[in-house]
Amino acid sequence: MKLDTLVRFQNMDRRWIFLGMGLAIFLPMMFPITLPFKVDERVQALYDAVEEVPNGSTVFISADFGPSSRPELEPYFRATLHHLFRKDIKIVSATLWPSAPPLVVPIYEELAERYGKEYGRDWCFLGYKDGKELAIKSIGENIPNAFPKDHVGTPVGELEVMRGYQQAKDFPLIINVSGGAPGTREYVLQIQGQYDLKIASATTAVSGPDYIPFYKAGQLVGLAAGMPGSAHYEKLVFPDGPPEGVRLLATQAYNVLNVGHAFIILLIVAGNLAFFVTRRAEEQEA
Amino acid sequence: MKRLLAPLLGLLLSLVAAPTLAATTLTATSPADSSGENLDIAWESSDAPAGWAVLRAKGAAAAAEDTWTVLKLLAPDARKLSDKVTTDVWTDPPADAYRYELIALSTVPDLQDVEDATALVRASGSVAATATGSPEGSWFRTGLALKNYGPMLMLLIILAVAGMMWKFTEDVRAGKEVFIRRIPGIDAIEEGIGRATEMGKPILYVPGIEELQDIQTIASMLILGQVAEKVAEYQSDIIVSCRVPIVREVADEVVRSGYFQAGYPEAYNPRNTRFVSSEQFAFCAGTNGFIYREQPATNIYLGRFFAESLILAETGFVNKSIQIAGTAEATQLPFFVASCDYTLIGEELFAVSAYLSRDPRLVSSLKASDWIKVFVVASILIGTVLATFGVPLVINLFSISGG
Amino acid sequence: MRSTLPLILTFVVGLFMVGEFFIPHWRYHMWTQVFLEWGFILAAAAYVLGLVNLVQVNLPKVINKEQDWPYKLIMLAAIATMMIPGFIGGETRLQDGQMYKWLFDFVFVPLDATMFALLAFYIASAAFRAFRARNLEATVLLAAAILVMLARVPIGENLPIIGTKLVQFMNWIMDVPNTAARRAIFIGSALGAVATGLRIILGIERSHLGTDG
Repeated sequence: MKLDTLVRFQNMDRRWIFLGMGLAIFLPMMFPITLPFKVDERVQALYDAVEEVPNGSTVFISADFGPSSRPELEPYFRATLHHLFRKDIKIVSATLWPSAPPLVVPIYEELAERYGKEYGRDWCFLGYKDGKELAIKSIGENIPNAFPKDHVGTPVGELEVMRGYQQAKDFPLIINVSGGAPGTREYVLQIQGQYDLKIASATTAVSGPDYIPFYKAGQLVGLAAGMPGSAHYEKLVFPDGPPEGVRLLATQAYNVLNVGHAFIILLIVAGNLAFFVTRRAEEQEA
Repeated sequence: MKRLLAPLLGLLLSLVAAPTLAATTLTATSPADSSGENLDIAWESSDAPAGWAVLRAKGAAAAAEDTWTVLKLLAPDARKLSDKVTTDVWTDPPADAYRYELIALSTVPDLQDVEDATALVRASGSVAATATGSPEGSWFRTGLALKNYGPMLMLLIILAVAGMMWKFTEDVRAGKEVFIRRIPGIDAIEEGIGRATEMGKPILYVPGIEELQDIQTIASMLILGQVAEKVAEYQSDIIVSCRVPIVREVADEVVRSGYFQAGYPEAYNPRNTRFVSSEQFAFCAGTNGFIYREQPATNIYLGRFFAESLILAETGFVNKSIQIAGTAEATQLPFFVASCDYTLIGEELFAVSAYLSRDPRLVSSLKASDWIKVFVVASILIGTVLATFGVPLVINLFSISGG
Repeated sequence: MRSTLPLILTFVVGLFMVGEFFIPHWRYHMWTQVFLEWGFILAAAAYVLGLVNLVQVNLPKVINKEQDWPYKLIMLAAIATMMIPGFIGGETRLQDGQMYKWLFDFVFVPLDATMFALLAFYIASAAFRAFRARNLEATVLLAAAILVMLARVPIGENLPIIGTKLVQFMNWIMDVPNTAARRAIFIGSALGAVATGLRIILGIERSHLGTDG
């Protein structure tokens, strides 16, 4: 191969890379390749933590994601609701992100209807609370103070599902679906240690490695990171495949990642080969 | 003898017939290092009721207007309860004392939608024990009672940093040399400003996307002042793109002050300090627009960033700007390293203002935090060895929990 | 006084807020809560200033038809388009059928997701450009990146012979070197933050205050 071709390859217009990446994502979506996968140990721990929650008790979900992190986290969020509602576990939920309520409320309503769960008795959504770390501290200290009313204006005292649950430590498990900040790190730093809480986290792939130290230190009971984490969780919740009307979005997308990752790896390898060949040629010329 | 027989028999019968009395003791104590809003209720009992109920009333002495509240119904094997005596200290501050009654339940009542829960609970059992407790707030959290030495250690570290800062400042003022290793990224800031001036293009400064109270944003504001002064000296332009409105206000003041310090107050253009949008990607798109249209020669990204970091950096790369980034957000460092010419990692961001100004007091703070780092590294090494042999001394030293 | 008063305020309030960690008493926390809420009120008020700034900067450019004025006009129109239905809808603005909800679902959400999706393409181009084995450290970085990328997806896990080992090695990279490095950065940043905070509270660092002399 000519040397200048290799040099041009190394300095190619990045739009060729964009085109290649686009095809690497588009083609597997059109022609899916399904490969088996094993569940990650951290996701298994997350699933087990939910399994340990007694049927009929109540968990707190902090649904802190927005449109940008929705593709990675909504599949996990849906799978978790299936898991919880199936076990008749009640849900008290809130969010620290202003863009979350219009995304999460329709999902809650859809799945609550599917499982025959009644608002106020089996689940409630307390809405958005501004304040980031301050809001988290308020959740740790006194939830009715932080959220006097739910997202439709009902006083929290009138919600049956909230009876006996005044602060974070009253819940056997807190699940944080975290698209960024404020999210898992703030929950761990502000209230996990202080109240010795059991917190499970589902987060974006970028943030996942940042929270592994928390998991290793026992500050998180489980961790699902990115699309792979969501796909692994879907596999655990639906081991025999999805029931009717349920799509395993993360599992489908996970297989699309195969070609995407392979494309980037091939690009890097090819770039390095070109780099070595041109460098050697330049050294020889010199 | 016959005269004694009857009473003796009676005594024997009463001993056999009388029910066995369960000994139950109840205590209400203020936890150590407490805020004064909690009381720890604990009891010992050989009784085995169907369940327990704990009632509470305000005040140390019984009064006609006493209101008893049912705190919780508990399982038969429960032996403790943490009671938060108030939910709002403004409207209902903690009283001097509270009385508690422990009810041994013979049947567990359903308290849902019951008007007088207290009466129902009393009717479902009998008072096993009573106690009075006074919540005591602590004015200093030592952590000693809970064997959490972390708070004291943190205080010592803060005092040590402050003390060392003072000592090293005196040393520097006395003429002692302080070595700071070269940080190419910070040196590049001045070079970048010079480059922008030569090319007749502005400098773009992005102070992160977090709120003003974030320490990285604060550090970025500190650096912005010095950068703005240099930009003014070079008679160039600086565009500051902000995601948070209040950061924009502070940045405006800082840049204006920088121009004033350099002696060019009239050159300051307030329209160059811009609030774009509080939505992350709208801000990113807007800042990209600045890069494409105004074509800054140098882009400086210092502060806390998230997913927009790579988009900003790649756009700057396409624009052929010199790019200097610095963040303590570990998730974004790889993107900056891949796309920017210079990247300041973690604490280097906090060192910039000291490095640029070479003010003895700022430089001394760098040295002080370096010595604390030595202490932390030593603690990790010693603690690892000790923990391996089952001695949790260092772990306890750094523990902070309870509240 | 103009420069001294902010320093005194910074010192007093800074010490007071640091004290919150060491003083658990509820009477103390009452006042730290007040300070924090003052901060949030100020931040909320600044949104009005932010809006004013947006209009102040861009409206003259539209009126004077400066360079790229159509983009400024679109931006100002977008502000009005989202703001007016939001005010009209009020508390019901997020309910189905509301214009604000429609704009959120069909304009904001797709645009936000699209911008985030750009990262996939930019990562590819950045990785192609940056991952060159120029020296030993760069080679180690390159090898680790390739291994982790491969093992994170089913294709790597299903490679014959090495698939399982690859995943185990990837987990080791994430659990050991990655965790160690992140903890180190975290600790270093935290200490840097303590020093920076102390400098500001003690009035050593003043450039953020802004002075006219």
